[in-house]
Amino acid sequence: MTLAIFDLDNWREIGATLARNKTRTFLTAFGIFWGTAMLAMLHGGATGLAGTMSRNFEGFATNLAAIVPGETSMAYKGFNKGMSWSLTVDDIDRVCRLTDKIDLASPLISRYGNMAFGTKTTTGRIGGVAPDFWRIQEVTLHAGRTLNDGDERHNSKVTLLGKNLSDELFGPDPQQAIGKYVSINGLYYKCVGVASQKGEGSIMGRVDDSAYLPLNPMRVAYNMGNKVDIFVFTARDGCTPKEILPVIKRVVSAAHPIHPDDEKALWMVDISEMFEMVGNIFTGIDLLALFVGAGTLMAGVIGVGNIMWIIVRERTREIGIRRAIGAKPRDIIVQILSESSALTVVAGTAGISFACMVLYLAEAMTAVPGHAPAGFQLTFSAALWILAVFLLLGTAAGLIPALKAMKIKPVEAMKDK
Amino acid sequence: MIIQLTDINKTYPGAVPLHVLKDINLGIEKGELCSIMGASGSGKSTLLNILGILDTYDTGEYVLDGTLIRNLSENRAAELRNRLIGFVFQSFNLIGYKNALENVALPLFYRGIGRRRRNAMAMEQLERMGLADRAHHLPGELSGGQKQRVAIARALITRPSIILADEPTGALDSHTSREVMRVFRDLNAEGMTIVIVTHDPKVGEQTNRVIRISDGRIEPVEQDA
Repeated sequence: MTLAIFDLDNWREIGATLARNKTRTFLTAFGIFWGTAMLAMLHGGATGLAGTMSRNFEGFATNLAAIVPGETSMAYKGFNKGMSWSLTVDDIDRVCRLTDKIDLASPLISRYGNMAFGTKTTTGRIGGVAPDFWRIQEVTLHAGRTLNDGDERHNSKVTLLGKNLSDELFGPDPQQAIGKYVSINGLYYKCVGVASQKGEGSIMGRVDDSAYLPLNPMRVAYNMGNKVDIFVFTARDGCTPKEILPVIKRVVSAAHPIHPDDEKALWMVDISEMFEMVGNIFTGIDLLALFVGAGTLMAGVIGVGNIMWIIVRERTREIGIRRAIGAKPRDIIVQILSESSALTVVAGTAGISFACMVLYLAEAMTAVPGHAPAGFQLTFSAALWILAVFLLLGTAAGLIPALKAMKIKPVEAMKDK
Repeated sequence: MIIQLTDINKTYPGAVPLHVLKDINLGIEKGELCSIMGASGSGKSTLLNILGILDTYDTGEYVLDGTLIRNLSENRAAELRNRLIGFVFQSFNLIGYKNALENVALPLFYRGIGRRRRNAMAMEQLERMGLADRAHHLPGELSGGQKQRVAIARALITRPSIILADEPTGALDSHTSREVMRVFRDLNAEGMTIVIVTHDPKVGEQTNRVIRISDGRIEPVEQDA
């Protein structure tokens, strides 16, 4: 006898038996279908979720931290607790001079304002940043350049416009904005670049809705003194922002009436910690997907085993007849196992196809123009793995009933007339 | 001798062991049409099962068409059943979801014969039984007599050495019984060896030799014409 898998007759035989009880075949197939679909959707969904979450951090240096002044919580040097204070440009200079662990540093000041060009007006955020800022948060440059050291040194009245602001003032072509003079809160700045942010996250407002000015010209033009709102920096390779925090605290409490032990006077947002946290969340999601997936897998497989058991019991007589007219025990085993594996392959493929469709929809719905896709996808190898695991377990589940079927004696099977 | 039984004994084990066949000696010639008759519980079904290699015996010797049937593996038994024996059962034992043609062709499937050839051979047998026009009907759509003729066609398709029939007319009315018996007699006339197990004297009358069995023993031979 030839190998059963390559025998077309065998497949006809299997098709005939499966088609015989359509409801039962359908219900079993649905169990497997749902099992594979769930597993595939969980897998692809976890990948996609990870993709959407990491989109938030796109464009940011991974060892980034921001210092935000808060309110004091301890009375010190005759000042009551609960006093608010501001970081100054001098604080930042001193910190940078005291430690060599800082790589890039930029103060940040932020105001709201009106922008106008010709007859068009709009409102948005005005951000003052140091040149380092453009290396801390990378942006997508649509036209021109970012602000540089020269702008800062020469107190140039130039601006980098967010894409949305440029669209409103100059229309969809960002090149139109370059070289034009834009009025920002009544003062004119020459537009040198148009940019939008890469990820979903931003520091103090979306890049797309902001007009950036060099730090010094902004401070001077709007009479802001030396106060800044936030201090962002990145740690040098091999250091973490946490190591720099004590230096900052020391500098700040020397220059301001802040108790050295005051924990709440300033707080640090440490992106590197967030990266780590997000990493943990991803691991958690993966584990969850694996756990739930394994559960549905088991349920599906037990379903197959169960149905094959019923099939064998129901067909005891038929198997007896087949044995009487010359079916060998192996023929019966092959038949039962082929039935369960054929069912698994067909339903499993359908399940994976269905999952791919769902993932495609998820991908389409989470798509943001200008951003990389979130990755609600199933790799081909992952799909094959899922199918292989299901096939293996599905066949294994058919094994016990098949062995039972093999032991059926023709005489006994045909006795119940 | 196509069937030669020598001192066959069979005991069903249990709390009270049941000695169902006692020193059975029986020879059946090629081309015979004989019946095994006996009351229920006489051991005739057990005898038929042993003849059909569906059951084993404890002591003695059973030679079927030159092959000693003893201590066979399941595979070998299946193969011999397929090659040497055609079964006809009281309750037809057709597979309900397969049409007449597929039912008849099934033994050839287990012999590894291709579908096209299988179906052609099955059609031939159905024609012989006068059922060509019913080839694509399911068993449920056939009358009792037709079902039994399909079963006979299935028994014949492997060109077996003998046909074993277990109460082949038990589920049929007297008219179709006669019809089925005519089929058996016609087959016998063509040279087929046929053994029919029955408790119906009318069926026994239509065979050339009646083997009576009671209480596990064969009664002294009585030879009819």
